[in-house]
Amino acid sequence: MARKDTFNALLRRNIEAAIADKLLQGYNSISDIASASPADLMSLGLSEDQAADTLNKLGKTKKESGSKKAAKKEQAAEPAKKVEFHRVVKAKPVTEIEAKLNDMLDDLGLELPRRVVVTIGERLEGADIPEVKIREILKRASEKYELHKMDANESAGILAAQSIGEPGTQMTMRTFHYAGVAEINVTLGLPRLIEIVDARRVPSTPMMTVYIRPEFRESVEEVRRVASRIEKTTLLDIADIETDIVNMKVIVHPDTSKMDQKGITPEQIVERLNKDRRLRGQVKLEEDAEDKARQYIVVTSDEPSFKKLQGIVQATRDAVIQGLDGIERAILRRQPNGEYVIYTAGSNLRDVLAEEKVDRTRTTTNSIQEIYDVLGVEAARNSIIHEASRTLEEQGLTVDIRHIMLVADLMTNDGDVKAIGRHGISGRKSSVLARAAFEITATHLLHAALTGETDDLDGVAENIIVGQPVTLGTGAVNLVYEPKKRPKEANQ
Amino acid sequence: MMRGVSKRIGSIKFSTLSPDEVRKMSATKVITADTYDDDGFPIDMGLMDPHLGVIEPGLRCKTCGNKVDECPGHFGHIDLAMPVIHVGLVKEIKKLLQSTCKTCGHLLMTKEEAQRKAQEWADMDDLGGDAIDYRLLAKGTAKDASKNTICPYCGQEQGKITLDKPTTFREDGHKLTPKEVRERLERIPDEDLPPLGIDPNSCRPEWMVLTALAVPPVTVRPSITLESGDRSEDDLTHKLVDVLRINQRLRENRDAGAPQLIVEDLWELLQYHVTTYFDNQTSGIPPARHRSGRPLKTLVQRLKGKEGRFRSNLSGKRVNFSARTVISPDPSLSINEVGVPEEAARELTVPVHVTKSNLEFLRNMVKGGANPPRVDDRYVPGVNYVIRSDGRRMKVTDRNAESIAEGLEVGYIVERHLMDKDVVLFNRQPSLHRMSMMAHTVRVMPWKTFRFNLCVCPPYNADFDGDEMNLHVLQSDEARAEAMILMRVQEHILSPRFGGPVIGAIHDHITGTFLLTHMNPRFDKKETLSILSKVKHDELPAPVVVDGKEYWTGHQLFSLVLPEDFHITFKASICRNCAVCKKEDCDLDAYVKIRKGKLITGTIDEKAIGSFKGKILDKITRDYGADASREFLDNVTKLAIGAIMVHGFTTGIDDEDIPEEASIQIKEVLTDAVRRVSEFVQAYREGILEQLPGRSLDETLEVEVMKVLGRARDEAGQIAGRHLGMENSAVIMARSGARGSMLNLSQMAGCIGQQAVRGERLSRGYWNRTLPHFKKGDLGAEAKGFVQNSYKSGLTPTEFFFHSMGGREGLVDTAVRTSRSGYMQRRLISALEDLKLKQDGTVRNTADIIVQLRYGEDGVDPCRSVQGDAVDVDDILSEVLGEDAEALARIEEKKLSGYATIEKDLMETMEEEEAEEPEYDAGGGGGDD
Repeated sequence: MARKDTFNALLRRNIEAAIADKLLQGYNSISDIASASPADLMSLGLSEDQAADTLNKLGKTKKESGSKKAAKKEQAAEPAKKVEFHRVVKAKPVTEIEAKLNDMLDDLGLELPRRVVVTIGERLEGADIPEVKIREILKRASEKYELHKMDANESAGILAAQSIGEPGTQMTMRTFHYAGVAEINVTLGLPRLIEIVDARRVPSTPMMTVYIRPEFRESVEEVRRVASRIEKTTLLDIADIETDIVNMKVIVHPDTSKMDQKGITPEQIVERLNKDRRLRGQVKLEEDAEDKARQYIVVTSDEPSFKKLQGIVQATRDAVIQGLDGIERAILRRQPNGEYVIYTAGSNLRDVLAEEKVDRTRTTTNSIQEIYDVLGVEAARNSIIHEASRTLEEQGLTVDIRHIMLVADLMTNDGDVKAIGRHGISGRKSSVLARAAFEITATHLLHAALTGETDDLDGVAENIIVGQPVTLGTGAVNLVYEPKKRPKEANQ
Repeated sequence: MMRGVSKRIGSIKFSTLSPDEVRKMSATKVITADTYDDDGFPIDMGLMDPHLGVIEPGLRCKTCGNKVDECPGHFGHIDLAMPVIHVGLVKEIKKLLQSTCKTCGHLLMTKEEAQRKAQEWADMDDLGGDAIDYRLLAKGTAKDASKNTICPYCGQEQGKITLDKPTTFREDGHKLTPKEVRERLERIPDEDLPPLGIDPNSCRPEWMVLTALAVPPVTVRPSITLESGDRSEDDLTHKLVDVLRINQRLRENRDAGAPQLIVEDLWELLQYHVTTYFDNQTSGIPPARHRSGRPLKTLVQRLKGKEGRFRSNLSGKRVNFSARTVISPDPSLSINEVGVPEEAARELTVPVHVTKSNLEFLRNMVKGGANPPRVDDRYVPGVNYVIRSDGRRMKVTDRNAESIAEGLEVGYIVERHLMDKDVVLFNRQPSLHRMSMMAHTVRVMPWKTFRFNLCVCPPYNADFDGDEMNLHVLQSDEARAEAMILMRVQEHILSPRFGGPVIGAIHDHITGTFLLTHMNPRFDKKETLSILSKVKHDELPAPVVVDGKEYWTGHQLFSLVLPEDFHITFKASICRNCAVCKKEDCDLDAYVKIRKGKLITGTIDEKAIGSFKGKILDKITRDYGADASREFLDNVTKLAIGAIMVHGFTTGIDDEDIPEEASIQIKEVLTDAVRRVSEFVQAYREGILEQLPGRSLDETLEVEVMKVLGRARDEAGQIAGRHLGMENSAVIMARSGARGSMLNLSQMAGCIGQQAVRGERLSRGYWNRTLPHFKKGDLGAEAKGFVQNSYKSGLTPTEFFFHSMGGREGLVDTAVRTSRSGYMQRRLISALEDLKLKQDGTVRNTADIIVQLRYGEDGVDPCRSVQGDAVDVDDILSEVLGEDAEALARIEEKKLSGYATIEKDLMETMEEEEAEEPEYDAGGGGGDD
């Protein structure tokens, strides 16, 4: 089938049937052929001219047909040269005192995590302390730091899993209102935590926090404008819709106050409605006979059919006049520092970030997959950490961030977000026995038999199954004590 | 007994049995469907053939000549009259049929395509892929191949293969018999298999269609003899009988040249039996049932699920040397100890190797027999078994004790009773974290329960309302050493979850220290000695002399258990977070200051010594080590008990007594609230209720009503609280963090408040009303679950019903939560269990894939971290700079809440914090839906 289609497509591109036949011996699709070199084509029995001609035609037709992809690519290619990549450093700049401390550490040949250096810096800021003492402080801190490091062969994974799993039993199941924005419901507690480790495509309650660029963020007006731009508004939200069955038309009475609030003009509505496939060319703006200021929009049916009219009513009702897909609601909130922040129910990170006045560095969503799609794995990893620790914190449970980090790092280890479970990490384990012991036992065993899999017994579950010590902790090392024979016994 | 370094299994390879192999490894061919003859002897070439192994004691295996427990059992086989498809592999067979040519068996791909696929496979090998990646690649290859409708090798046009679940294949609608399927699979050349994800060395595709069926050894399917003498066969045997019977009939019919229809019917029946023999839960066919109607448990069912072989018998096992009984508290025990009842101690044994140096000691012990008499009313351990050097196990009885003792030699092993100081593991389910199983040292005690110090309750999450716990006795020196170093209770005082103490004082211990230290009371000599009688201390401090009488202050007494140079400052639980902290001059005595091991000011309560929050505990463990911390806890336990016993402490319903005028006041507040609610309802009905932005009218009403009622409840609580002073036992418990909260108290004394289901006022029940006691559509406070009464004053019948509704939600919530969180934890463990910290500081899984370059980005063990921080900077500053550091240090109150702190009362209404008025709501209108 596919072959036939390709053949026809080639003919349409003015390529002779004979040549097309030859081409198809070597290639499957037009794009394959187009990407081949003339020499490749010649090897299929084409003459040099024919090959060049074919490629030309294909290349040309591609441009002529204006394949959106190609066009876009070219567009993208040009400005691409101008794009300058600069590293975004989000870490705070090193302060003077921190720099001094770092120098001292280098000098002493010691190492401390940045966080500790920052804290020491904060405490010593402004205080007059002799350098000897500071060195002493650093020395002691480093000593403690070395002591506090985790031992080798510690089963860090199990520690993390238990630390996150154990408080799960104490969490609530209920969905609460989001603290601060009572209007938006957000899943919290155990269901949210499960959602995070499941790496669900869409969270049950997607939500965004949209920050506005510093220059606008303190103006209610500006922020309100952004909010109404992103919030999905259907015609029904801003107008009353009336069906005139006698004259077979739909009359829309816009609510001027609501429209003003959202900054929408009747012309915009007409324009929008005319874009709809079902309403194209049937929408007109009319003025009230008595009151010239009152305008209304009339949608006439082009054929006298009630079915058609019904379709028009539906289409008018659902017509999206303004806003972004998925953003159901946008609510403004004043932060203590005076800035206004938009909270939204529903999420559409890509389009919101494209909005002009939005602060792209801070705006975020609670949908981890969306962050992964738009900003990449590293961002998704940070988002997992942030969302999980916020969920736990909100429930009043303290879990060390290192545990959550480990889970997030494992979930994003090979470049995309993988779930914790049989479709994600557990299903991808190298050991057949470990997979069989987790879930879908029979399938794993049967499949292993077909592929001739070998279980190298490296992991924990499989070693427990065959009954030998696991490779973690004390099981990871081998110590043999060989007592020296006492000379007396040796003599005997 | 095995000694020294044992062998390890290097790897396990999985592959498919070929019919030849099945026959080769078979001890006997099975042909008769009968199992036993009339005399009860197994029939030769039957399913219970003695060649297949022995299950009856005394008999010997005809294949290997061993007895029960020595003979592992041997496989037999059944030659199937006609080939039959293996259910577990139908999907693979379908894949193969679709992607290979029906005549020549080649993969339906041109050489170039095949080459490209081969490259993909090579790339995958290069870059590394996991099980799912490979499977998807194989699937993709099969899919691409099946798109080609004409074989590139022989030009044969391919039919469309469909699968009629569970085991019937059709080509363009025509049925393919298993025989035909097998013939096609036979034609697939070895070199075309790897791209389809099959290893030709482990599995030839035609083996997926069975011609010979392996019969598992009888040891796998033992028959049981009932008391009546009847035999009851295993489910597998039943199924095999079915297979054999139909197989026999099929063969006879086929050989006799019976009509094709009959043969085909029988063939299908055979297919059914073989299918259910493998998996009795195959969708699309009815499960095979026992005579009683119970579905049979066949091969897949044996392996699968929680009760299956893998999870129930391989990943977890039943053990010996364990005990289980009810637990009870004993503050006189150290946190490291566990009290074991004598009865249990006499059953649980520890193997001791007889050496030259312990020969006499053990001989004496053996002489005492299995039940030695008590000496000075003290428990004396005895011996249950003696194992000779040749491995013979001798039971020690009163009669032979003497002679066995005489015969004791070096090299024997004596299984002696448990005695004091033995190391055991102690566990309470659910074992959610590593602190659910810790090592204790034994104290053999009278009576019948396990006993331990109350400070160890939180990590086990134990209470004494009938909880039972398990105890395991360690059997080897290596195990004991590891347990003592890694698992001992004192090593687990700091939790790896948040780097704070999980083991610490609870309930009465906190009340005790509170009474001892709050406002620094004085105790006379008698009281002091009574308090200190069980506490380890050096000397009494110098008494305070008032009016010629000697007194000791609570602070002095508490200081006795602190390490000498201990130094700390923090705010106690009773601190009310005043705007300006008066520090040492705190009116509530909430500013705890300890210098040089002396408590100077402050009250010792939950914040100081409690589990999860105890600051003193935290610091002692960190700075002075586990031993010091254990000693501190043991002492605090005894000190607190001493203090609370001198003071006397009780709580009762009269603790919630409030004066008449308070009750009247509360009543007024509540009536006022109810009146305001009806005003709101009135306004709502008249349509003059001002709509909140972003809310519908209904929602607005609910929000307003909830706000009014919530505030009324709080106000009632405050009025009640005003009359409950610090001398009130219930208040002491709530404020010191020992038990209960002020909310609980206000609900007992003031008003219970609004009942809620799913965070909303009650609304379900009858049509438009909650109960028939109210008018339809009544939106008032009483009709929607507002409980005006307190627990003490008692509820009206309707209130009681509403309260039960709220309570029920709580119960359902708990039930759902436990199962959901249990599964989440299982998944987390399964995903993370293989991760470990390597010598180079990276975290890797067992496939050596790096997950983190540095554990937690700083390599710090959360257990040793200072509430998450790598190093306690303030501490170092004060060490180096001395008192100067006070100015620099910030006594930051780190939020440290563990579990049990979220006693978010289920009856609690939504605490609507007076959020800033919503400025703007882009949602125009909203409208009631």
